[in-house]
Amino acid sequence: MIATMRYEFHMQLRSRAMWVVYALVFTVYVAVDRSFFTLYLGRGVEGEPKTAMLALGTMVGALMPVAYGCMVADRLVRDTRLGVAGVLDTTPTGQGSRLIGKYLGVCAATAAPIALVFFGRAIVFAVAEGEPTALGWASTTFLLTITPGLIFIGALTLTGPLLISPMIFRVLFVVYWFWGNLIYPAMMPTISGSIFDATGGYMEFGLLSPERDPNVIPYGPYPGAALNFLRPVASPTVAFLWLGTMLALAVAVLALARLHLARKAT
Amino acid sequence: MRIELTDLTKTYKGNVHALRGLNLDIPTGMYGLLGSNGAGKTTLMRILVGLIKPTSGTVRIGGHDIASGEGKLAVQRTLGYLPQNLGVYPDLTARRFLDYIALLKGLDSRTERRRRINELLEVVALTEEADRKLKGFSGGMVQRVGIAQALLTDPRLLVVDEPTTGLDPEERIRFRNLLSQLAGDRTVLLSTHIVDDVAQTCRSLAVLAKGRLVFHGDVGALVSRAAHQVWTVTTSGPAPTWGRVVSALPEGTGVRYRVIAASPPDPTARPTDPGLEDGYLALMESDRLTHPV
Ligand SMILES: Nc1ncnc2c1ncn2[C@@H]1O[C@H](COP(=O)(O)OP(=O)(O)O)[C@@H](O)[C@H]1O
Ligand SMILES: [Mg+2]
Repeated sequence: MIATMRYEFHMQLRSRAMWVVYALVFTVYVAVDRSFFTLYLGRGVEGEPKTAMLALGTMVGALMPVAYGCMVADRLVRDTRLGVAGVLDTTPTGQGSRLIGKYLGVCAATAAPIALVFFGRAIVFAVAEGEPTALGWASTTFLLTITPGLIFIGALTLTGPLLISPMIFRVLFVVYWFWGNLIYPAMMPTISGSIFDATGGYMEFGLLSPERDPNVIPYGPYPGAALNFLRPVASPTVAFLWLGTMLALAVAVLALARLHLARKAT
Repeated sequence: MRIELTDLTKTYKGNVHALRGLNLDIPTGMYGLLGSNGAGKTTLMRILVGLIKPTSGTVRIGGHDIASGEGKLAVQRTLGYLPQNLGVYPDLTARRFLDYIALLKGLDSRTERRRRINELLEVVALTEEADRKLKGFSGGMVQRVGIAQALLTDPRLLVVDEPTTGLDPEERIRFRNLLSQLAGDRTVLLSTHIVDDVAQTCRSLAVLAKGRLVFHGDVGALVSRAAHQVWTVTTSGPAPTWGRVVSALPEGTGVRYRVIAASPPDPTARPTDPGLEDGYLALMESDRLTHPV
């Protein structure tokens, strides 16, 4: 497992394609949302590193995971495409531990550019504002609002192409990302804004920043949206419920993939 | 390591009978598995190395039943496998690729790994290219990396599936010699559709045709299948119509034909000593008569 993790991490981290795709997505994203460059990052609460870091998390967490999912998508099936699978599968190292190793290594490497953008911007903020606490808030935000979603979609995108080709899967994944995480819930029935939403809204408004502008509706049930039973009112408990949901989904997806791989060897 | 196959069958989805009731004992040493494309060689090898399960029948390798988890693991611990059309990670160097496979094969000690990899790079003559990325490697070089990874744990069983296809003649000869040298006291199972590969390396072989075992034994026995059936005819007229022409070589104003036939194909035909290719063709010919489909 450790060997696979190490090698998959290095191979992905050195993949030029990954960095190019991230650069493109990053360019699109800063072109659309210029507030990335303003110090308070669109929220305009002066001198508040926590709010600024949460705003940064929301921005980075909205689009960068699209690149993440697409770059993870071919890493499992490429073993077969490249013709390496026959050798790997006949080593005494079990398929299960190689799957976990690959998952950890690939996801960590693919998340690295997101972390780079996020923490790079956080450091600029901390230095410019003379607010070292911003780095603490940045770490908390990254760990609690962005990472859980990456853990889940990493499992999903690594194993999804076992069923359909990576290219088609990527298209479906991008559609899923906008439908299931970014659109306003009132637009159409969606899991966006729900406990299955892979962006960290529940963590932000349930745990890290519960004090919301009273003029804004509370994070939770969305007026006029279907499936509101999946949108409990944000609270610390619900924040952890969301975190648990993301982890449980990741475990479930990996377990299913493991079963699928074992069944294929017949 | 002895390999014993009993009533081995494999039927793929869509009712494709890739193996039909194989019974075969493979002894230690170099052993050839000959058969045309689609004969079932790869299927048999993938079963032996534990990649797929047979539909029915048993496989025992060195006394281990590979249907059981422990049996399969015991075999994989002492297995070297070079799949047909082996691929590699393009962005790794040969050395790093071998290091990764060595780790998966349980060579945990770093110094031991380094020593073994250097040794094998020497064996397959890739020491100079060891730190180049694999994406720049030719087919023959990738095959040599493939044989090096197969040898990492000094396996008792070496399974190589059509290793010479795609190699140029020189590379091919080198590769064959390498395999023969490796045989020694291990079992080397070499599959190929090229008769010459077997003729130059193996004393014993099995022949598969459409999933059936049509021959097993030593090379001499297969050659003798064509005894008294190989003829040469030199003529400037039309080619002989009786029998199977295996070669046609221009000679003077005419052509010299090599023909396999039960009786002289032409009054001027002269009998000739058979080779392995003739034996193989005679075998396939008689198999076609007994199993028309
Ligand atoms: N995965 C598969 N699914 C269905 N049929 C297969 C599969 N693999 C091989 N076959 C079929 O099984 C037969 C034997 O194939 P194979 O073992 O690859 O032969 P060889 O290696 O001797 O060329 C062929 O008819 C081939 O089309
Ligand atoms: Mg084959």
